[in-house]
Amino acid sequence: MRITCPHCGARDAQEFSYLGAADLQRPEGMAASEAAMADYVYQRDNPAGVHRELWYHGAGCHAWLVVTRDTRSHAITAVEVAKARKAGAAA
Amino acid sequence: MAETATLWAPRSAWAGIAQAGQIGAAGPAGVTATLLDGFGLATLIAAPGGAPALSQAVEGRLGIALPATPKIVSGVSHDAIWSGPDQWLLRAATRDGFSGLLEALSAQAAVSDQSDARAAMRLSGPRVREVLAKGVMLDLHPAAFAVGDTALTSVAYIGVHLWRLADGPDGSVFEIMVARSMVGSFWSWFAASAAEFGCQVSIDRSTGRG
Amino acid sequence: MSTQPFRLASGGLIDRGQQLDFSFDGASYRGYAGDTLASALLANGVRLVGRSFKYHRPRGILSAGPEEPNALVELRSGARREPNTRATVVELFGGLTAASQNRWPSLAFDLLSINGLVSPALVAGFYYKTFMWPASFWEKLYEPLIRRAAGLGRAAGTEDPDHYEKAFAFCDLLVIGGGPAGLSAALAAGRSGARVILCDEDFRLGGRLLAEKREIGGKPASEWLAATLAELASLPEVRIMPRTTVFGLYDHGIYGAVERVADHLPQPPAHLPRQRGWRIQAKRAILAAGALERPIVFAGNDRPGVMLAGAVRSYVNRHGVLPGRETVLFTAGDDGWRTARDIAAAGGKVAAIVDSRPADPARKALADKLGARLFAGGAVMGARGGRQLNGVTIRDASGAVSELSCDLLAVSNGWNPTLHLTSHQNGKPAWDDGLQCFVPGTVPAGLAVAGSAAGRLTLAQALEDGARLGSEAAVETGFATKLAEPVPATDPETNGLSPVWRVSGGRGKAFVDYQNDVTDKDVELAAREGFRPVEHLKRYTTLGMATDQGKTSNLSGLAIMAEQTGRTIPQTGTTTFRPPYTPVAIGALAGHHRGKDFRPIRLAPTHDWSKEQGAVFVEAGQWLRAQYYPRPGEADWLTTVNREVKAVRAGVGLCDVSTLGKIDIQGADAAEFLERVYINGWKALPIGKARYGLMLREDGFVMDDGTTSRLGETHFLMTTTTANAGKVMQHLEFCHQVLWPELDIRMVSVSEQWAQVAIAGPKARETLRGVVDAEYDLSNEAFPYLAARPVTVGGGIPARLFRISFSGELAYELAVPADYGDAMMRALMQAGAPLGITPYGTEALGVMRIEKGHVAGNELNGQTTARDLGLGRMVSSKKDFIGRLMAGRQALVEQDRPAFVGFKPVEPGQRLRAGAHFIGIGKPAAMEHDEGYMTSVAYSPHLDHWMGLGLIRGGAARIGERVRAYDPVRNGDIVVEICSPVFVDPEGARLHG
Repeated sequence: MRITCPHCGARDAQEFSYLGAADLQRPEGMAASEAAMADYVYQRDNPAGVHRELWYHGAGCHAWLVVTRDTRSHAITAVEVAKARKAGAAA
Repeated sequence: MAETATLWAPRSAWAGIAQAGQIGAAGPAGVTATLLDGFGLATLIAAPGGAPALSQAVEGRLGIALPATPKIVSGVSHDAIWSGPDQWLLRAATRDGFSGLLEALSAQAAVSDQSDARAAMRLSGPRVREVLAKGVMLDLHPAAFAVGDTALTSVAYIGVHLWRLADGPDGSVFEIMVARSMVGSFWSWFAASAAEFGCQVSIDRSTGRG
Repeated sequence: MSTQPFRLASGGLIDRGQQLDFSFDGASYRGYAGDTLASALLANGVRLVGRSFKYHRPRGILSAGPEEPNALVELRSGARREPNTRATVVELFGGLTAASQNRWPSLAFDLLSINGLVSPALVAGFYYKTFMWPASFWEKLYEPLIRRAAGLGRAAGTEDPDHYEKAFAFCDLLVIGGGPAGLSAALAAGRSGARVILCDEDFRLGGRLLAEKREIGGKPASEWLAATLAELASLPEVRIMPRTTVFGLYDHGIYGAVERVADHLPQPPAHLPRQRGWRIQAKRAILAAGALERPIVFAGNDRPGVMLAGAVRSYVNRHGVLPGRETVLFTAGDDGWRTARDIAAAGGKVAAIVDSRPADPARKALADKLGARLFAGGAVMGARGGRQLNGVTIRDASGAVSELSCDLLAVSNGWNPTLHLTSHQNGKPAWDDGLQCFVPGTVPAGLAVAGSAAGRLTLAQALEDGARLGSEAAVETGFATKLAEPVPATDPETNGLSPVWRVSGGRGKAFVDYQNDVTDKDVELAAREGFRPVEHLKRYTTLGMATDQGKTSNLSGLAIMAEQTGRTIPQTGTTTFRPPYTPVAIGALAGHHRGKDFRPIRLAPTHDWSKEQGAVFVEAGQWLRAQYYPRPGEADWLTTVNREVKAVRAGVGLCDVSTLGKIDIQGADAAEFLERVYINGWKALPIGKARYGLMLREDGFVMDDGTTSRLGETHFLMTTTTANAGKVMQHLEFCHQVLWPELDIRMVSVSEQWAQVAIAGPKARETLRGVVDAEYDLSNEAFPYLAARPVTVGGGIPARLFRISFSGELAYELAVPADYGDAMMRALMQAGAPLGITPYGTEALGVMRIEKGHVAGNELNGQTTARDLGLGRMVSSKKDFIGRLMAGRQALVEQDRPAFVGFKPVEPGQRLRAGAHFIGIGKPAAMEHDEGYMTSVAYSPHLDHWMGLGLIRGGAARIGERVRAYDPVRNGDIVVEICSPVFVDPEGARLHG
């Protein structure tokens, strides 16, 4: 596979490591419930189709990326910088 | 004091790894490798939103702006090398005065001295791209990787930082930098890969810029 | 030396001036440059080249290409011996040695050919049926027997002496196949300036043009070929790679290829690899791999001398070899007739032509002209002969059967497009009823198929496809092409194929899959027993599962299954091809990465110094670390380690710790960030102090530990364990970029910048005093436990000094820029010499940390919580941090969860073993009585007995109790006493000395 890092350009997948679903929200703070955290840690969909997932460009710029990939064909339709997602964050 | 000076002799990252001379095939060398030593190197990371200010500070002192994309920008005595978003390597030709410069820049950036952390070499020669193609997973064709382009990538499972300098008489010239601890394994790969074409190795102890 | 009795006096693409001597099964032969091993054997009259897999049937050469299922030989000898090499693709070189395989005691007289007589026991599925009972017989009797009887060649069994390489290439257009279609494509694209790579598996470019007598533009095709190759060679952005097989198509336009750099030489020349594994990234690719000819299934169709008709033409026209004196042609279409014509043109005799199609006057006239008997509407029912074909049984259109003697039977049954790569990405081939073959169906993006590979089987189509698709690829990748030049005309070509899948009625076995010895009867049996879907057929009969991947057998098998089940071929199924197209040596995939280069090794800046001191090294993560420093006269490693431990505890020792991960963390929110990633508090840590930190994974288990120092208000230096440095960096980047991008955190690894050494023992301060510049006060008051401050050494060299201890002794870690790492060791050794300073390695380090009950990698094993490890008191309850909630789960805070304690043998002389499980005394050694396990053990020279750390139910509450330490792997079963994990200096007096 080839992943186009928004910073570095198209690179071999060997430069990246995979983490999993990209859109989970960590339950933050002392008020977070154990149940919500258990969901965050363990509950995953396993879609046959379009999947937004986190990849780490460890052999490159060290950026965490959100890659939109079709799990059936490996077609990648978008790659975003994870850090840029949160409002107010410096990209 | 003389004894202390002798006792505290620095040892290059290349020591015990590679020597000057020809490796591989005899005859005209297809590749020339210059082992670089004695340069100053530091990571600069801008604060959130602070990249323009940092770039101005660097430009004010050294005459080079920090590239916003994977490029190397070279000045008279220093290079600014993109090494990630809001992150650069600043390379100085010598270590003289380098710590003072870093101290001065630490107001605008997180500064980490890395002068001893990398082994670097410059590669040129008619077969240089063929050697690099045995490990570099990037297209280094002149049309795809321009003069001044830089890339963080891996070679033989070893992280490297490489860039292309202005062409020399034999075409493309590259510099490649590797973590100090990995230089033995890196050299093993390089020597095996360059052997086919013959490689002239020299050592530039004076500066990082030859 | 043989005289090459089957070699033609002239013609062919061989160099008769360049003789090459070689041997096969010990006999010497001679061939010419340009030969393959197969063509040279045929020239020398060698027909029998191997024995079959299961029945040990004599086998010869079927094909002239990569599809060969029979002529598998062992090539070379000694460490370079290589089994299962297809003689049809081995380029002959002087001194080549080859041997037949799968025969015993000799090729001509093979005792195991008796398998052919007991063959009813060896039909499809025989593994599943025959050897079911008793189960214990399988391992001891059946399997070894089968392995001896059914086998292929022998691997060398010693290390491969040759070097292999990987290489990466990028292009606008990759052309796969150097026949007329591929060459036209490369030319059309190359002329536009596009970057083109053309790979061909053969050592000579031209594809079928080399094997056929054809005309292009009114001239012999060889002239077109020469001109095309010359022009391609003149184009700077075109790279032609002969001897290179593109074996696989992977995601996103990545192609795998293997270049046989030196397979055609006795051994690789100096500095050259034997093979090179290429990964080619192509924006566009054109598959122009041609087609593979199909055999016909009839009795005895495996006799040496039965050969594909197109292969016969290869040998005649390319290699100047007439593979038989007296030929019978069995053809189902016009293509076979070319073979008869070319044999006759070369002076050979065509005894008969058996054409399955009805009588036709033009064909009759041609047969008469060739002097051949014509059996129109006939079929070859059987071939006979033992080690060599000596005749065929022919049934004519009327059903009359006659016998004819011959020594070569050329079989022509049409061609299958070599579409393998189109299905590597799940593409499904489609059945073409007109052509009676599978053609590419869905083709992956970026790939186009040209010529025969697309089912466009004529030369004119190949040239036309290549030119058109080559131009299109150039345009699509941003290059302007000139208006396509007119495609040159070719001599006329007809097809007229009416394929014959099987001829029944002959006597003896009729093979579908030669390499795996699958017969038509096996396919019928599979049909009867219900293994009808093609994937079942394949697995039940092993059809298509040999190293040839069924290149000559898949379609026949499908056709027979279709006939058995009353379905059409497309209804019966297709075969999905997987990479690699042909076998690839593991060496080519591994490249440089074997032996010491299997993976990168990291060396500390002090490595050479340690080597000089005689250190024995051990792998720790990616690093090589000094394990211990043996001295002359020391009997074993334990003696050495005991000496090192005692030296530290009594005086002073030094140990490299450069391998620990070091992460520079800066930014306004650095302290806040540490609060969130560590279980303990950081905001109150004063500048100039270090603190032990423990971080969890989000699931609550311990991830890593280490000391982190505050160098400034917004500046920390984190250390990680050696093994987890990369993982922790990735984790911290995740926490920052994904979870909390709003924090001002700026992190970079500085692991490589610093050489760091631990100086431990009661004389550590005294030693350091001789190294650290005089203006720094190192007294206990000025530089207390957990101080972490910059100092200088050697007269102004910047350094960092940390007063931290893993050994429990008064200890420091001194860090200097890596260039000074070697000097630091020498300076410390000099300063410590009067104090008896002793270098120690990871082994002594491990002993001392066990003596002190410090956890390390064996305890931080991904299954332990802070609480399990007795570190529950560190957990802050005032803040959120990674892993907080999950660590509090019920199951992780159960009272009887195994917890961290020490163990000592009740009999002081007994040795402890890590991995031993704890079981109550008197209870049976069974899972339900398992109470935990020993994580670390060491011999304590201080206590003079073995000690252990481990996890046991109830933990510290059980101190004083005795349990069994049961270690069935090493026959260990001893009684141990549960004790405090701190074996030495429990008050910590030494630490603060």
